[in-house]
Amino acid sequence: MDGLKLPQSTAPGGVAGIDREQFELFLIHEGRLLDDRRFEEWMELFTEDGLYWIPSTPNQADPYKIASLFFDDRELMKTRIDRLRHPRIHIQTPPSRTNHMVSNVIVEEADEAAGTYLVSSSMLMSECRLDIQRHFTGRQFHRIERAGDSFRIRLKRVHLINCDSPFEAMAVPI
Amino acid sequence: MFDGTPDEISRLIEPGRVHRRVYTDPAIFDLEMSRIFGRTWIFVGHDSQVVKPGDYITTEIGRQPVILIRHSDGNTHVLLNRCAHRGPKVCNEPCGHAKALTCLYHGWTYDTDGTLIDVSMPEGTAKGFDKSQFSLASVARTGRYRGFIFANLVKDGPSFDDFLGPMKANIDDLVDRAPDGEILLDAGMHRYFFRGNWKLQVENVLDSYHVPYSHASTVNKKGEQFSRREGDKEGAKVIDDQNTDKTADVWKGRRSFVVNFGHGWTSNTELNEKGRSSPAYDAYKEALAAKVGPERMAEILTPEFHNSLLYPNTSIMGLNIHIRVIRPVAVDLTEVMVYPVRLKGAPESMNFGNIRLLNVTHSAASFVQTDDLESFRRTQAGLRSEQSDWIDISRGLGEEKADDHYNATSESAMHEMVIRAQYDAWRQYMCDA
Repeated sequence: MDGLKLPQSTAPGGVAGIDREQFELFLIHEGRLLDDRRFEEWMELFTEDGLYWIPSTPNQADPYKIASLFFDDRELMKTRIDRLRHPRIHIQTPPSRTNHMVSNVIVEEADEAAGTYLVSSSMLMSECRLDIQRHFTGRQFHRIERAGDSFRIRLKRVHLINCDSPFEAMAVPI
Repeated sequence: MFDGTPDEISRLIEPGRVHRRVYTDPAIFDLEMSRIFGRTWIFVGHDSQVVKPGDYITTEIGRQPVILIRHSDGNTHVLLNRCAHRGPKVCNEPCGHAKALTCLYHGWTYDTDGTLIDVSMPEGTAKGFDKSQFSLASVARTGRYRGFIFANLVKDGPSFDDFLGPMKANIDDLVDRAPDGEILLDAGMHRYFFRGNWKLQVENVLDSYHVPYSHASTVNKKGEQFSRREGDKEGAKVIDDQNTDKTADVWKGRRSFVVNFGHGWTSNTELNEKGRSSPAYDAYKEALAAKVGPERMAEILTPEFHNSLLYPNTSIMGLNIHIRVIRPVAVDLTEVMVYPVRLKGAPESMNFGNIRLLNVTHSAASFVQTDDLESFRRTQAGLRSEQSDWIDISRGLGEEKADDHYNATSESAMHEMVIRAQYDAWRQYMCDA
């Protein structure tokens, strides 16, 4: 559960002396897989014990004591994605179109020897379905580890600024 | 022109069908707010949401904002959230803690039982101004059962005891599962909205007929839904494994029940109770047996109810346990709040499991609820069609039977008796001008 925790604050600019671009490109790639509805490949970015968490309250300490919008391990991710592929998923008939933007990338923590990093970024996912466009925005945190010449995600945690507001149904991962 | 006379109301409901205006007409919605939500018992909150004196939550009864607050003497009060001076909402947050409630506008300050204790610049008050006449208004009546707090805006009408009646058993069924005999609604909530009438969600909670088609995307190749309870290896059998166009016989065997006031429930979901096991569930069983003994534990863990509805707008789910409150906002806009339930005295791991599985079934991003929300949205959109005035709710009409065990009326849960019973209650409320 320690992996779910985040640092209180980071120096401006984050950890010095680390190339931010490699992380930025990885996060852009991650968002693009979702936008292209390549959900299985998106899931494969996660480690076997990877977690995907979107809390429903600001400053939520953990996903166990309080309800969450999403709190998926790999097994749940797979169930979610199998459902997204089902011909009778009414909430995706027609499907959503989404566009992810990632910006303001900060390396919050780095252990170069171990190849593990905590990277935060500002995210905006716009979604359009049946003439209704809406936007999900907030700061996201990725705990990632180096895997060859890319990375794998151990935790993706998204702090939506409206996480405690009522939502219209959400079908695709953010 | 619609005046809301009993004649006009009665013409909207016929045996086995309901007029589309019941879902689409803003004038009918306004009447519902005064004649149903303005008159009957509405769930406002739970003891565990306001534990210490000064703790409060804010909610609505129909469209009227209220505060549920615990006073210094330990009693809870349900107050209208409107300053007695010029009317601003006094409490502005979903929940909080306050020694006293001060209105932001001119600083009038109320005690936690609503009594006006301070008027700023008191030298300016009119001659004869009587502070005691300017408390935050209390609701006319409150009713409590096992931590559930209900409020009623009028003093006349059925007592809370009469209103709740046999539905006490449905609350007991949930609360008794807690080793300490208390539940806690302190694990946050799921909130969502849909562009449809509130009754669409109310009708849906006891509608087992929609599940095989609406929720097909939650069912695996064996026809089973994913597991929704801690300790289950598989979920409910919904679709026939030989023929995916057919509903599973076990699902078709479900029953539904109705009693007075539009309340009702559906029978339990048949699962492999003997095979139910996980470290969290086994530890929970141990904790429960230690408190109530093995015989009572066996009774408690034999599920009786799948979903229960306290009409008009509160549902208790017994499968992946939660309390659901349906809040009408406008004729075509509804908010739903889903509260995870923690069982007091259960191991934390068991409560974690319940909270985690509820994310999967009933968050705004869940696997089950999202397809329902799409059904409600499409229904509201479809009902714009004026080609036919009627919505059909006739399945099983005439097949209702008295059930002696529950002193209720029973029918197949694949039919629409429960919806007809809701409209019987609706007509009664609405015709009482």
